[in-house]
Parts: sequence; structure tokens; C-alpha cells
Amino acid sequence: MPDAAGPIGLPPRFAGQVGEVADWALSNIDDPIAPRLLEHVQLSVAPVLLGLAVALPLGVAAARWPRWYPAVLTGVNVLYALPSLALFFLLLPYTGFSPWTAIIPLALYTLAILVPNVVDGLDQVPDHVRQAATAMGFSPMRRLVRVELPVALPVIIAGLRVATVATISMVSVASLVGLGGLGQIILTDGFRRNFAAPVVVGVLLSVALAFLADGLLVLLQRWLTPWTRGRETGATSRSRRAARRDAPPTAPDTGSAAPPAAPAARGEDA
Amino acid sequence: MITFEGVSKRYPDGTVAVDHLDLEVPTGRTTVLVGSSGSGKTTALRMINRMVEPTGGTIAIDGEDVRAREPAALRRSIGYVIQQAGLFPHRTVEDNIATVPLLLGRSRGEARGRARELLELVGLPPEHARRYPHQLSGGQQQRVGVARALAADPPILLMDEPFSAVDPLVRAGLQDELVRLQKELHKTIVFVTHDIDEAVKLGDAIAVFRPGGRLAQVAPPERLLSEPADAFVEEFIGYDRGVRRLSFFPASALSLRSDVLVEAAAPARRARETAAATGEPWLLAIDADRRPLGWVAADVLAGADGDRPVADLDLVGYGHTFSVPTDSLRAALDAAVLSPAGRAVGVDADGTVVGAVAQTDLGTAIWAVGEADGRAAVDGRA
Repeated sequence: MPDAAGPIGLPPRFAGQVGEVADWALSNIDDPIAPRLLEHVQLSVAPVLLGLAVALPLGVAAARWPRWYPAVLTGVNVLYALPSLALFFLLLPYTGFSPWTAIIPLALYTLAILVPNVVDGLDQVPDHVRQAATAMGFSPMRRLVRVELPVALPVIIAGLRVATVATISMVSVASLVGLGGLGQIILTDGFRRNFAAPVVVGVLLSVALAFLADGLLVLLQRWLTPWTRGRETGATSRSRRAARRDAPPTAPDTGSAAPPAAPAARGEDA
Repeated sequence: MITFEGVSKRYPDGTVAVDHLDLEVPTGRTTVLVGSSGSGKTTALRMINRMVEPTGGTIAIDGEDVRAREPAALRRSIGYVIQQAGLFPHRTVEDNIATVPLLLGRSRGEARGRARELLELVGLPPEHARRYPHQLSGGQQQRVGVARALAADPPILLMDEPFSAVDPLVRAGLQDELVRLQKELHKTIVFVTHDIDEAVKLGDAIAVFRPGGRLAQVAPPERLLSEPADAFVEEFIGYDRGVRRLSFFPASALSLRSDVLVEAAAPARRARETAAATGEPWLLAIDADRRPLGWVAADVLAGADGDRPVADLDLVGYGHTFSVPTDSLRAALDAAVLSPAGRAVGVDADGTVVGAVAQTDLGTAIWAVGEADGRAAVDGRA
């Protein structure tokens, strides 16, 4: 039986031992569940924020100079195609077992979702609105910050939702190289000890976290974009579709034919 | 005054949008730039606030070259209304209107107070202030667009086909509103349209552009209709310019006949006497409040029982009336053409009948107007 070392063995069959799972969860809540969950949150939020910080200027530039957009799009899609496991290992010599080893690749992956959404959001700002802003005496920078980005916000947030859920599911892979997160519970407490309860707990928490984050982003959008409320053909549903359409169609890490519409398709462990 | 001096706009691909434009836009008046698409009228408009930079010539506002001013600052001092209003979808109506005052550094409270005033000025109820643009109709959005352009009280207002995206009925309302506002505000308005009727209705002066960005003619609307400079302008204005021109002559100059009126309650016998005395084939039946009821033919009266009141006889509809104090000869002519009796009914501001005028008499009046105008033109040249 493969234990602490060696390749991962066949996972145990889970046959509905709900009591066992609950027992394990309750007795391990302080350690390792709570710290791993916190790590998972940190390892998910940081890449999305970092990705957004890069995607915004990149998207703005691509919308401003559309000639370069195809190249940018190819670039971020190629990044998305790099296997995450390989990237983690490649970074290890430089960043060690610090969170950055997980954050940097995950941030790069969010670009494939966020950049097209920033560009789409800016492109759908009506021309008459942009011209009116110029004619009112907005400088180009002010127009971008006060008019174009706010109007693009529903589309950008739609992309943020997809990117966040995808990242939460992918953080688990980071555990394979010992970077923490809920994947660690699944891997070390579950697979390696051939014990189902931690796996179930890890999966459930990861999914719950994704739901929670998505819900929070929906609330954020309602709060930030009150003008979209009660709009029949809301930008929200349209942009959500746009975000999915633009998400790369396959999950490169697994090489499996994951359905393109599933935002969490990249996560092998979730 | 806005002055265009030898202004040209040539794009790098060689297209000439505006070709050596010389034009003076007088202060406090409405100047309409009209022409088909591709005639450079919008380009000319946008060069005033430097949305487009000319490749030749100069544009000056009150003698000062617009290029001497920083574009954003220049634009804040010039109101701008665009087709489809261009309202910011993420801002409430009041914040949309407050845009320029806020850019100019006014406090939010002051800017919003001003927004409320303007909302009233353009005829929108105050409860619209907190709505978002998509909750308003197209016509209401355009009113907000006008209010936003006026918010900082700029002396100049540029309007780029502002009413062309709304339906004709709403458009007519917006045009009337603009005429009313302009009487109050006396802005220097430059208005771009492709609709010559709109130009005639709104303009103190009309500048007709021809394809290739050349100016074909600048004239007050009445003169444009009576003396188009060349075949292009004549064709652009349309073949019914003679009739349209009548809208510049007041109907109050007409002499209306009040002896053809007959009270509806009067017996047919008395009406018969009136018809005989005036020699008119039609009499207009009116009620006790002097409102028109319909025409009664002398033939009908001749064959009617003398004791029956006129109201009981066969009355013919009078079509639409024209208002003697406010309408033009064009409205009177239209009323006469549409009336089955061939006569137009003139009413006062309160809707009571002043009198009627037959097509033949109208023709004489129109002829007289043409004569007087011809003499004036000759005098003018002398």
C-alpha cells in the first residue's frame, strides 16, 4: 500500500459514510481544515487580483489599439495552455515553496478570461456615449476611468466571476507541489492515507468556496452597477455568455475533453 | 460669433470632407448646416470644438482661434448635443446633466441643484432626476441631452442631428421646445441636420452644403426658399418650396369673411336670405359659442323647409381650422385645400370662429405676397 512516499494509489471508494466524514471534519476543524481553507482563499484571491491588475491595462491597450489585440489574445491563450503543474515546478527554483509559486501561474491563467472581457466590455460602450464624453470635455484618461470602465463593468465582473471560480478549483493542483490549500487535505490526508473522508471534505469546501465567491461577486456587481437593475436585456446575462464563449475550450492540464461551458473545467481535483 | 475662414479638412487617404469653408455664425442666433450625407456638415460642426482638427484655415470664436485653447477646456465651454443623446448609462439623469458643472469643479450639491432647474426648463418632471437613461423614452433622453448641454450655461450650443433618431411626432415636439428655449436663452446655436424642413423651422440662417464639403448657399430660410442660389440648392430644397415659403407669411394678413356665418339654431329661411345677400354658395354653421359645426350648401338651403333650424340640415365637415393670430398662410392654404367647401375656417386663440376665406381669395393674398416680395427684392438691389 503506497503510503507517505511513492506514487498515489487508487483512491478509496466512497460509499456514503456520512458519519465518518462528519466525525473527521469535526475533529480536524482546527487543524488542518481551517488553515488549509484560509490558504485556499489566499491562493485564490491573490491571483485573481493580480490578474485583474495586469488584465485591465492590457485590455485597455488592446481596445485602444485593436491591431494588437489578436496578438495579445493569442499570447494569453498560449499562457493558458501551459500545464500548471509544469509551471509550478519551473518556478520552484526561483520562488521556492512561497505562495508566489502558485499565485504567478494562476494569475497568468486568469488573463485568458479577463483580458477578452475587458476588451469586450470597452468595445460595447456605445460610440455616441464615448463621443458625448469627449465633447463634454473629458480628457482621454478621465473618460476611460469615469465613463468607459464603469460602463464596461458588468462585462468585466462577469469575467471576474468565471476567473475566480476557475482559480478556486485550480488552487488544489498547487497542493501537488506542496503549496497548501484544500488540495493538501485531499492529497495528504485522503489519497496518501487511502481515507475517503478528507477527500470529501476537501471537495465540498472547495465547491462551497466557489459558490460563495461567485455569490459575493454578484452582490458586488449589483452594488457597483445599480443602473443595470430591471433592465430587460441586461448586460449581465449577455456578458456572462461572452465570458464563457471567450474562455479557452479545453482544460490543458488534464488533456481531457472538458466541456467548454464549464467555468470550473480546469480543476482536476475539485 | 463663430468664424470659419478658408477651413478645409482633408483626410490622409485624400478624401476632402470640408473644402475651403467661409462662414459666419452670428451670436445669439440659430444657424443650421444642412446637406446630404458626406457633405461635410458634421465635420464642420466638430471642428468648432476641436473634435476634428482642420487641415487648413482657421476657426475663431469671437476673434480667438480655437486652436489657442486646450481642447478639454474649450469643450467645457461649448454645449454639445448628439444623435441618440449619448447619455451616460451608468449615471442618473441628474448626474448626467451635472456632468460639465462637475468637470468645472462645482460642488455636487450645486451641480445637482442646477440639474433640477434644467430638468424643469426642458419640460421633464422632477421625479425623473433619479432615474437612469434607459428608463426614459427616446424623446425624454434627448431632452436630458439638451439639458446636459445647457448645464454650464455655455454661450454656444452645437447640435449634431439631435432629433433624427426619434419618431416624427416626438421630433416635432422637440423642435417646438428648442424654438421656445432659444427665445428665452439666445444661445449661439449651430445645428446640423439633413432634413430641410427641420432647417426651415429652426434656423435663423441656413447653410446648404453640397457633396465634397463645399458651401452652396447661406441665407435666411425664407430667402433660401424664394431664391435658391443654383440648381443644386433648388433640388435639395424640393419642388414644393413655394408652398413651404408661405409659412413665413402670417395668416393674420388675410381678410376673412364673417358675413357667411350662420347660427345653427337659426331657421333655414334666414340662412337662405344670408346666402342670397352674400351670393356665397356655402355658409358656415356655428354654435352658440361661435365654434364651427360645418358647412351648409346654398342648394341645400334652397330646398329645405324654411322653419327647420340649420343644425338639422345636411352639414359638410369643415376639415381643420387655422389660427388667425399664430398660423401662417401655409396653414390657411392647407385648411382651404382640405375643406370640402373649398374654404378655410379661421379661428381665434380661444377657438371661436373669426371668419372664412375661399381658395380664390387665398390665391389673391398669396399673389400679393409674391408681388410685395418681388418689389422688395428689386428695392433691395437698387
